[in-house]
Amino acid sequence: MPVAVPIEHVLALAGLLFLLGLIGVLVRRNVMFLLMSLEVMMNAAGLAFVAAGARWAAPDGQIMFMFILALAAAEVAVALGIVVQLARRFESLDVDNADEMYG
Amino acid sequence: MDLLWLVPAAPLVGFLILFVLHDYLPKVVAAVVGAGSVGVSALAALLVGMDYYEAGAEPTWQLLWTWMSVAGFDPAIRLYLDGLSLAMTGVITGVGFLIHVYATGYMWNDHEEPEGFARFFAYMNLFVFAMLMLVLGDNLLVLFLGWEGVGLCSYLLIGFYHRDPANGYAARKAFVVTRVGDTFMALGLFLMFRELGTIEIQESLTLASEQWSGGDTMALVIGLLLLGGAVGKSAQVPLQTWLPDAMAGPTPVSALIHAATMVTAGVYLIARMHDIFLISPEAQLAVAVVGLVTLFIASFTALVQTDIKRVLAFSTMSQIGYMFFALGVGAWSAAIFHLMTHAFFKALLFLSAGSVILALHHEQDIFKMGGLWRKLPIPFASMLIGSICLAALPFTSGFFSKDVIMLTAFEHASHGLVFWGGAAIAAFMTALYTTRMMIIVFFGEERSEAHDESRLNMWGPLLVLCALSLLGGWFGFGVVAGVLPDGGLGEFSHFSAVALVTMAMPFLGILVGYLVFGRNIIDPEALAASKAGNALKRFFFGGWGFDWLYDNAVVRPVMWVARINKGDIVDWIYRITVAVTRGAHHVGSLTQSGRLRWYAANMAFGLAVFFLIVLGVIG
Repeated sequence: MPVAVPIEHVLALAGLLFLLGLIGVLVRRNVMFLLMSLEVMMNAAGLAFVAAGARWAAPDGQIMFMFILALAAAEVAVALGIVVQLARRFESLDVDNADEMYG
Repeated sequence: MDLLWLVPAAPLVGFLILFVLHDYLPKVVAAVVGAGSVGVSALAALLVGMDYYEAGAEPTWQLLWTWMSVAGFDPAIRLYLDGLSLAMTGVITGVGFLIHVYATGYMWNDHEEPEGFARFFAYMNLFVFAMLMLVLGDNLLVLFLGWEGVGLCSYLLIGFYHRDPANGYAARKAFVVTRVGDTFMALGLFLMFRELGTIEIQESLTLASEQWSGGDTMALVIGLLLLGGAVGKSAQVPLQTWLPDAMAGPTPVSALIHAATMVTAGVYLIARMHDIFLISPEAQLAVAVVGLVTLFIASFTALVQTDIKRVLAFSTMSQIGYMFFALGVGAWSAAIFHLMTHAFFKALLFLSAGSVILALHHEQDIFKMGGLWRKLPIPFASMLIGSICLAALPFTSGFFSKDVIMLTAFEHASHGLVFWGGAAIAAFMTALYTTRMMIIVFFGEERSEAHDESRLNMWGPLLVLCALSLLGGWFGFGVVAGVLPDGGLGEFSHFSAVALVTMAMPFLGILVGYLVFGRNIIDPEALAASKAGNALKRFFFGGWGFDWLYDNAVVRPVMWVARINKGDIVDWIYRITVAVTRGAHHVGSLTQSGRLRWYAANMAFGLAVFFLIVLGVIG
């Protein structure tokens, strides 16, 4: 019988992952890494859902994770299209190049 | 057969055709549509009138449609026909048609506004429509619609020669001054609606008679407010100053709007609302006083004018003064009778003056005319006929109506002698200034070249109006009988002392006029050159200082305020709002750097703050 991991540990891990992802979003300029960081943040949220579902023995957590997966897939589909456009137009993957829509 | 709707509809259709197509219509078509539509209207009015008397002269209604229906308030566009509105309709369409026909000739070769032929008739038709709605309307809203409609057309037609700024000024003056009266009238109508709870005129008058039978302050207030509206529209003291300036419009306009019809709208209003004035004798007395003062002032002013149209304008003012005076002393039918006869002979005077003006190439100064009777026989003859009617020589139409007014005034309970005396002096003055005008214009030495170019469409209406002016007095008696409370014109002996003096006044005026201006027994120019004479002449010439007074008391202060307030203080509130919004926009737009990561950081920071607040760590 495996020893149940305490939920506090899981949540701490999820928080840590989320923070790492956020820092990645904020500091990376390469749009690919930015998207990957976003993935990390979403998975952190998913991990928190699953852990909470296991803790209260409810299926909701896992269902939410399904949704997050679907969301992530949709997001990647759109985002990659944008990335291709970005690469074509600016000939680089630096998001800061695309700062013309200001003011 | 009920053709009542056609009476206002025909000129409306004419207006729409002319207004929409005015650039594309040949002149002939415009003339036919413009005059023809009023002709159709006159014909319909004639048939309606014959039906009306055949059916026993019972008031009838014709419902056209319901204007709106909101929460039990459903004013209808409904025409009301009784003797009063029929008499008015007859004058408007009949005299209106003759003037339209005349105008087709008068405006044909108009050199000031050659493109405006169709536009002119569009406005004229719109005017006839509005005037008909005014007199046929059965509720206060339709009445007001027509009332403002004729004001608009008056404005448009006074300023018809819009290339000269002075004409635009005259038009604005007429509009603004009548607006003062209209405000009073609107208040009066609102008050009637509030007090009586209905806008149907007949119903409200019945209610008023029941509610306020013993006399009531409310009736007095409403009466005075309505009088205010009538005074503005009919150019009576103290709102009379716009009428002489209104002569800036083409002469047929002066004949139709500023002599025969629109300026008598005030008389119609008071006659229509006579129950209110019967309840409140004070209001009725005010009407009489206004009329008497106006007819007095205007007849003196007319004596010294040099512009032929201004002479006629002041004469119109004083004749409408007679009508008000008649209403005020209770000669209700006589007032409407005088309105009709005046419409005939004053239209005749204006149209023949128009022919003279046209023959002299738009010369209006009477001192540049003279000796014209040989060259312009038709205008001379028609003007002579108009003048004897205006002076009220026996058996002309003016005599019948004016005589009844004066004799009724003499029998007035409290002020009979004063009223009669004032009116008699004014009658003398009327004959005097009329004689002066005729002598200066048509006799004496020739001072200018004249070419009479009028054709059938111009002298035809003159002849018809001559006949109406001379004979109108004989058939006018029956028209208004039974509608107004005095039951028709009173019967007076023509051989009492008062009646004889009344009758003698015009002759006296003509005699004095002939001696002074024809024979120079007293030299009028020497009289005017003396110091007192000159001062008096200038005082009369300026219309007894009313223009000066309003200029200094109203126009200049308003202009001064307008000048110092050029930046418009009230506008600052809105300008500050704009400035604040614009500044905030600039500040806000600074945060919009376009950098995705900067937005993400802001969002993360915002969310962090939000969570900290939710968790109770801060705030």
